[in-house]
Amino acid sequence: MDVITNLAFGFEHALTWSNLLYCAIGCVIGTLIGLLPGLGPLATISLLLPLTYSIPVDGALIMLAGIYYGAQYGDSVSAITMKIPHASSIVACIDGYQMTLKGRTGLALFTAGLSSFIGGTVAIVVLAFLAPLLGQVAFLFGPADYFALMLLGFVCVSLVTTGNLLNGLAMCLLGVLLGQIGTDLESGTLRFTLGLTPLADGVSVVSVALGCFGIAEICRNLDAREERTPFNGKIRLMPSWPEFKRIIPSALRGSVVGSILGILPGGGPTIAQFAAYAIDKKVSKYRHEIGSGSIEGVAGQAAADEAAARTSFIPLMSIGIPENAVMALMMAAFIIKGIQPGPNMIAKHPDLFWGLVASMWIGNCFLLILNVPLVRFWLSIFKIPYSVLFPSILFFCCVGTYSVNNNLDDVLITAAFGLLGYILMRLSLDPAPLMLGFILGPMLEENFRRAMLLGRGSFKVFVTQPISATLLAFIAVLIGVQIVSAILRLRARGPSPGPAGSRDQEAAPAAMIKTPGG
Amino acid sequence: MANQNAVRGAVLSAIALCFGVTALRYPIGSFAHAGAGLFPLLVSALLLLLGLITLVKARFEPAKPIHFAWRNIGIILLGLVAFVVAAKVASIVLGIVLLVIVSSLAATSFSWKRVLAISVALIAVALAFQKLLGLNLQVI
Repeated sequence: MDVITNLAFGFEHALTWSNLLYCAIGCVIGTLIGLLPGLGPLATISLLLPLTYSIPVDGALIMLAGIYYGAQYGDSVSAITMKIPHASSIVACIDGYQMTLKGRTGLALFTAGLSSFIGGTVAIVVLAFLAPLLGQVAFLFGPADYFALMLLGFVCVSLVTTGNLLNGLAMCLLGVLLGQIGTDLESGTLRFTLGLTPLADGVSVVSVALGCFGIAEICRNLDAREERTPFNGKIRLMPSWPEFKRIIPSALRGSVVGSILGILPGGGPTIAQFAAYAIDKKVSKYRHEIGSGSIEGVAGQAAADEAAARTSFIPLMSIGIPENAVMALMMAAFIIKGIQPGPNMIAKHPDLFWGLVASMWIGNCFLLILNVPLVRFWLSIFKIPYSVLFPSILFFCCVGTYSVNNNLDDVLITAAFGLLGYILMRLSLDPAPLMLGFILGPMLEENFRRAMLLGRGSFKVFVTQPISATLLAFIAVLIGVQIVSAILRLRARGPSPGPAGSRDQEAAPAAMIKTPGG
Repeated sequence: MANQNAVRGAVLSAIALCFGVTALRYPIGSFAHAGAGLFPLLVSALLLLLGLITLVKARFEPAKPIHFAWRNIGIILLGLVAFVVAAKVASIVLGIVLLVIVSSLAATSFSWKRVLAISVALIAVALAFQKLLGLNLQVI
């Protein structure tokens, strides 16, 4: 079997002492930072990016991936123990926190840890089989197809993460515009630099991420001025055998749901969790208990979360188009390390690709054997008062942006993006689609220009290619359904919710994200 | 208090106009041979459209108040600027101290002892980054 030899080859690379060390460091630091209030995977990755600058490429990628799923796990821990949610762990708050209230925190954490492990394992098998296959498909893609695929990603991300197509698309477009700052690669024209030299190379992705997610988030926490009581309860980790048996089926269900939803454009952990939770609520043997702190309510969503977190690497590494904001940031991090993700990555750097895949499973093990038992120590990070924490986070923001180019002016740009992020937050605009637009912006323009050149200036080129025509048709359907449902809602004009149908289900998670976050 | 929905539409339209008008100054070219200004012009036109739709929609939707607190974001930004200026003029050590002092003003309470402790700890971290990770921080 091809896949097995490839995986063995990958493990050979991932199992060196130094790579194991980077993986462990990434998992642990990612979990720790992910635990902190207000720092989701996006902020965590960009804060910790400078740690990887002096590390060799393969180690750096492994560590980044470790940071990512560590942050994902840390998020769910703070959700379970203290009901501090992120967009990426909102479902863990429902049943997980109910279990904490019942004094079963340890069981909830163990369930989350074990289900994450199961979900991650399933997802890696999917990843190992599917990524090279999709990589072959990617070679069929022309510029028009890439352009349409990115647009579809924008629409899906807007729908899924914000639930509001209008706001989400506006954020994507704003991101694209911000990505235009700097030198035009084809003509060399300086665009939107306001005559400032540091802007000639464009805005660094770290500045955007730390400004919009780090600094804006700090201000949100400061504005709220809430004191959090650290978690002091007892944690008894080991479940009894009947409890253990209950974890497995819903974890497996969650893994499958997560693996599938992780691949789709706009997909990723958030939507996968909601879907897995909803399915468990319908299918599970213990469905009547879900919502009041049952094992199934934690297991399914945790497995889906972790599975989707890994399969969302598939579009990035096989086609070269990130499907959500976190993957876009990952792509930027890959590029900083000199690796262009895409079909050529598998062909040209098989050691990097398969090493990364294998390290994901190793990282899974680290999470299970390291972070699940040690979680009670990690939780002590909440005993640090926020007045100590936030100046330190600010300092890391400064170091992070400064060390990209060793340029202090970049810190000022980060500050400007902090202001922008704060204004957007106060206007209820989610910066995650902005991040995706910002990173895809230059690629979007390049492919648009190339497609128009090939089509001799006629927009027909997007409709005559079968792939791009199909993708554009999808976009048209999605937008059409949105507009129709908006008009119907306006007609109804009452407190009754919009029309039934699939759109409703997709809007629901976003509505739930809004309520605890704001 | 201003209506959040309307302000959102206005802000989006204003940003779109800023980018769009600037894009007009760059060579536009034709669709077949796009200049530097064509793509940003298209994108900002779309953004303007979305902003205007938001504005129109705001008239039909119930108003939402906007919560904007300048104090904390102002203090944080001031702290960052102080860091940059101090690091440029003097050294990064002074920058860290100033960053901690200024940003601590945004906390619920202020204590010099705490500021001092955080500063010392962060300078130690910066030194560790420089020595162990090879970041060019020039602490010493």
